[in-house]
Amino acid sequence: MAPPPPQSNRSPSPSQPSGKSEVSDLKSQLRQLAGSRAPGADDSKRDLFKKVISNMTIGIDVSSLFGEMVMCSATSDIVLKKMCYLYVGNYAKGNPDLALLTINFLQRDCKDEDPMIRGLALRSLCSLRVANLVEYLVGPLGSGLKDNNSYVRMVAVIGVLKLYHISASTCIDADFPATLKHLLLHDPDTQVVANCLSALQEIWTLESSTSEEAARERETLLSKPVVYYLLNRIKEFSEWAQCLVLELVAKYIPSDNSEIFDVMNLLEDRLQHANGAVVLATIKVFLQLTLSMADVHQQVYERIKAPLLTQVSSGSPEQSYAVLSHLHLLVMRAPYIFSADYKHFYCQYNEPSYVKKLKLEMLTAVANESNTYEIVTELCEYAANVDIPIARESIRAVGKIALQQYDVNAIVDRLLQFLEMEKDYVTSEALVLVKDLLRKYPQWSQDCIAVVGNISSKNVQEPKAKAALIWMLGEYSQDMHDAPYVLESLVENWDEEHSAEVRLHLLTAVMKCFFKRPPETQKALGAVLAAGLADFHQDVHDRALFYYRLLQYNVSVAENVVSPPKQAVSVFADTQSSEIKDRIFDEFNSLSVVYQKPSYMFTDKEHRGTFEFADELGNLSISAESGESVVPAQRVEANDKDLLLGTSEKDEGRDPGSNGSAYYAPSLNGSSAPSATSQPLADLAFPTTGISSQAPTSSLAIDDLLGLGFPDGTAATPSPPPLNLNSKAVLDPGTFQQKWRQLPISSSEEHSLSPQGIASLTTPHALVRHMRSHLIHCIASGGQSPNFKFFFFAQKAEATSIYLVECIINTSSTKSQIKIKADDQSSSQAFSTLFQSALSKFGLS
Amino acid sequence: MLEKQLSGHRVDRSICAWFWDKAISQPDSFKQQPVIASPTHYLFQVLREGITFLACTQVEMPPLMAIEFLCRVADVLNDYLGGLNEDLIKDNFVIVYELLDEMIDNGFPLTTELNILQEMIAPPNIVSKVLSVVTGSSSNVSDSLPGATASLVPWRTADPKYANNEIYVDLVEEMDATINRDGVLVKCEINGEVQVNSHITGLPDLTLSFKNPSILDDVRFHPCVRYRPWESDQILSFVPPDGQFKLMSYRVRKLKNTPIYVKPQLTSEGGTCRLSVLVGIRNDPGKTIDSVTVEFQLPSCILSADLTSNHGVVNILGNKTCSWSIGRIPKDKAPSMSGTLVLETGLERLHVFPTFQVGFRIMGVALSGLQIDKLDLKTVPYRFYKGFRALTRAGEFEVRS
Repeated sequence: MAPPPPQSNRSPSPSQPSGKSEVSDLKSQLRQLAGSRAPGADDSKRDLFKKVISNMTIGIDVSSLFGEMVMCSATSDIVLKKMCYLYVGNYAKGNPDLALLTINFLQRDCKDEDPMIRGLALRSLCSLRVANLVEYLVGPLGSGLKDNNSYVRMVAVIGVLKLYHISASTCIDADFPATLKHLLLHDPDTQVVANCLSALQEIWTLESSTSEEAARERETLLSKPVVYYLLNRIKEFSEWAQCLVLELVAKYIPSDNSEIFDVMNLLEDRLQHANGAVVLATIKVFLQLTLSMADVHQQVYERIKAPLLTQVSSGSPEQSYAVLSHLHLLVMRAPYIFSADYKHFYCQYNEPSYVKKLKLEMLTAVANESNTYEIVTELCEYAANVDIPIARESIRAVGKIALQQYDVNAIVDRLLQFLEMEKDYVTSEALVLVKDLLRKYPQWSQDCIAVVGNISSKNVQEPKAKAALIWMLGEYSQDMHDAPYVLESLVENWDEEHSAEVRLHLLTAVMKCFFKRPPETQKALGAVLAAGLADFHQDVHDRALFYYRLLQYNVSVAENVVSPPKQAVSVFADTQSSEIKDRIFDEFNSLSVVYQKPSYMFTDKEHRGTFEFADELGNLSISAESGESVVPAQRVEANDKDLLLGTSEKDEGRDPGSNGSAYYAPSLNGSSAPSATSQPLADLAFPTTGISSQAPTSSLAIDDLLGLGFPDGTAATPSPPPLNLNSKAVLDPGTFQQKWRQLPISSSEEHSLSPQGIASLTTPHALVRHMRSHLIHCIASGGQSPNFKFFFFAQKAEATSIYLVECIINTSSTKSQIKIKADDQSSSQAFSTLFQSALSKFGLS
Repeated sequence: MLEKQLSGHRVDRSICAWFWDKAISQPDSFKQQPVIASPTHYLFQVLREGITFLACTQVEMPPLMAIEFLCRVADVLNDYLGGLNEDLIKDNFVIVYELLDEMIDNGFPLTTELNILQEMIAPPNIVSKVLSVVTGSSSNVSDSLPGATASLVPWRTADPKYANNEIYVDLVEEMDATINRDGVLVKCEINGEVQVNSHITGLPDLTLSFKNPSILDDVRFHPCVRYRPWESDQILSFVPPDGQFKLMSYRVRKLKNTPIYVKPQLTSEGGTCRLSVLVGIRNDPGKTIDSVTVEFQLPSCILSADLTSNHGVVNILGNKTCSWSIGRIPKDKAPSMSGTLVLETGLERLHVFPTFQVGFRIMGVALSGLQIDKLDLKTVPYRFYKGFRALTRAGEFEVRS
């Protein structure tokens, strides 16, 4: 747990090994000592053991000493024993045969007079984790559970759980769960009770999927007698055991209100406990119990306030972090509870940024009419903070507060001051905020525009800020004197603008400006449309084309589409639905709160298997697959309507959330967005070149534009399939393994295969060939009927992003399980669809 | 790197490699979040004196439990080894393993109470070394199990015996304050602890009461404190653990005054910045204020600084931290520090303002005003010596400029 030595020979500590020779040295020395009963032998053994363990600790393989270590372990010295147990525990799994040797002496130690040795030996015995030795475990465990010393019982209970994980059937057959249940309810020692509880919970939860009885047993843990029994003894439990009991109580559903109050009265003093984990677990119980009683629930909020705030300010930054995450959740549900205590969330200079960041979020959340002024004043002080990311966050926080308040007078002034602070990042953040503010409060445009007008676009480099500035230039071009000229100069630098978002905004802004001040903008419009049409970026190209056709068709229609009268945005879309928030709330006091996601969104059973994966892949045959065997490029037929609609809907849904770029697709302004867009497009489809539209004012410009004469072909090609795969994708197995380990699973699905497909799948190669024709390559395949396993990969055309697929096909159940991982998460869904369509065609051709 | 495998599902060591890659790629360890998701596990980390304590899980669990436990491990190791650093851990790794063995099993925390652990595993101090030489027994594990694991008072060893019975109660307070740019006291509160060092024979039952318990905003107790007497009469009734422990921690909010003032002033003009800081007593607590220090970080845009003071020593350290140690504030004059800061070429004015962190210590006073009324001993008929002390020091006391 200490930092690892970056190079293994960094510090000349005596316990550092020099290499292989030392291992064999140790071996011979151990051998000499093994039989020795001389007086000093234990001390020299101890030194040797220490060396062996230190080698093991730093990762040198000393498993070759196993035999010698075991021989030396026949001793009465408890430290030697402990070291030996440690060693054996570490290597037994790799040497099951040798582990058998140790069983003997461990079993003998289990009958030692000293309870400490009995306990330790039993613990080590259970930690060997060698499956074929379980038969030797049952006896010692059984007597351990009946031992008259609580230490041994405590170890034995956990031992049962370990046994269960090695061999569930042995554990159940020996009827250990029933013994544990008896101990749970009758043992005088609370630590034994607590261990029983945790062991039983785990065993029955795992069993309940297969056995109804276990499910019933699990329910009885939540029954009134058990819960009351535990609650009445709660003060005797250790603090960690208390957490466990409280966790159980939180799931308990009391029968009536008086019961609820009984429980709460009993637990009230737990809120005063020195251990934060106990406090938080108690709070969870309180919140869950009172969910149905609104008024009591409010009282609970009041009651838990002080303990929570103490947790934030005392304790380590790590603890504050965890508590603050929970506070954030609470404040989302009841913003008023902490509104008077906002000062607790003021950032302290020395705090780590992760705490500061959460505190800023808290300040934003608790701001209301009464404290806004103080909070904003405080936040403004952070804008001059040394820590630039925090300075940025605090400016954003000011903006968020402005958007949720009614009285924004003072805040707007502050924001405008930020614009004049002459620091790049401050200006950038402030620009984005001013843009959002203007969308909500158009009445402030006069003041804002005056200040924004003074900002030179050359000083703004960040894409988001630049896009915001351009948006304002377009939207308020009638009020900003030199807007057309600023835009024009921006258009001139089109080629140097790397961000597609900025280019898109520029297109739209020039359009808007054109409708307001045609003569001055005409030149810029021509230039921007020409540049847009020549752009490599698909969206930019499409939008330029769309504007162009729109102008061609009818300028007034174009104006209605591009620059309609706008209504102030009253509510910005919330990024998290209330349903999700409720779910997280149900999982109070868990990781979900820290991640701000319900656990089903991030915990994943698949994670358990990943380490085994490397071995698995090694066993599979690596199919002879290389760049030579490339099938002629083929357009993948995934260009179905669903996919298109899917992406456009996704875009639209994302808009309001993504920090105010909602306007960048003004064409989607109508309520029935997709149809509104496609309608004019269809109408416009292929106007014969050269026919000017009805708008005389713009005809000249448009004629000019048409003179550019882009090839008809471009217009005629239907928009290409959303996802093209590279026909020459290459990936070596090493990279594949590495990527597979690194990337999260982006989709995991189960499908049934067509009967024809199953019929054709006699050998793995059939499917490999088929998928290759769809530009999906196989890197490894294996298995025999009925189970086949494949690893595929594919590469996006003209991009480096790779998709990785694990596909397991069972021909007898005609099911396929597909797991997809992708470099580029955004397109993984499209790829998934593509993959399935390819798979479904298997056997049909 | 020490590892302790706890559950049947083995965690590969490569997770640590992953963690270090990540930690190294993000050089500012301060920005590392305590809870991070790796491709396979969720990792909790706690950083203490350059040692990272790491725990990992694959399932949902209360995050605070993991973090709290790691903190406790760090504390226990710190007490055992008399400090925390790489060499100490390397030299004593056997003890560390033994401790971890007793503290956690199968991923479930067991005993973390220091008193109990010390009975099971002797700390590696000089006394025990001498003892082992004299007695000839070389084990640093006690032969018997601690009696307390079976007793109803788990924090107390069974039956300690002392020739002199004595108990010391210390009030230790830390004042957190934030003073903003305009010199307004934005926030001021005190986090205090009641620390007790008890050496009393037998099973003493103590009561401790305060003169003015109503000023306490929130309190947290050691498990030994009984809740009912506190709830009804604000009396602490408890059977103390043996030795040093933290009986209670408390928080007092909304204090109106700080004992000293610190007034920084920065004016910049034409590429240089004039800095002056004044320090003085605002509100005399009646005892001497000593160990006064003022520290701040020079913004990175400052090329050089020339600072002098009329009292105390000014040091500018390598990492651009400027520290001014004043010591005791003299009666006759107010200490001040002044000088000029030269800005980077091209910068006219200073945009980033430093935050001044103030340290001080006042012996004999608890600034919150909390006072101990009396301490009584029931059940044990001995005479015993009682000692009370108080101390206030600066916690996060910061002045913005």
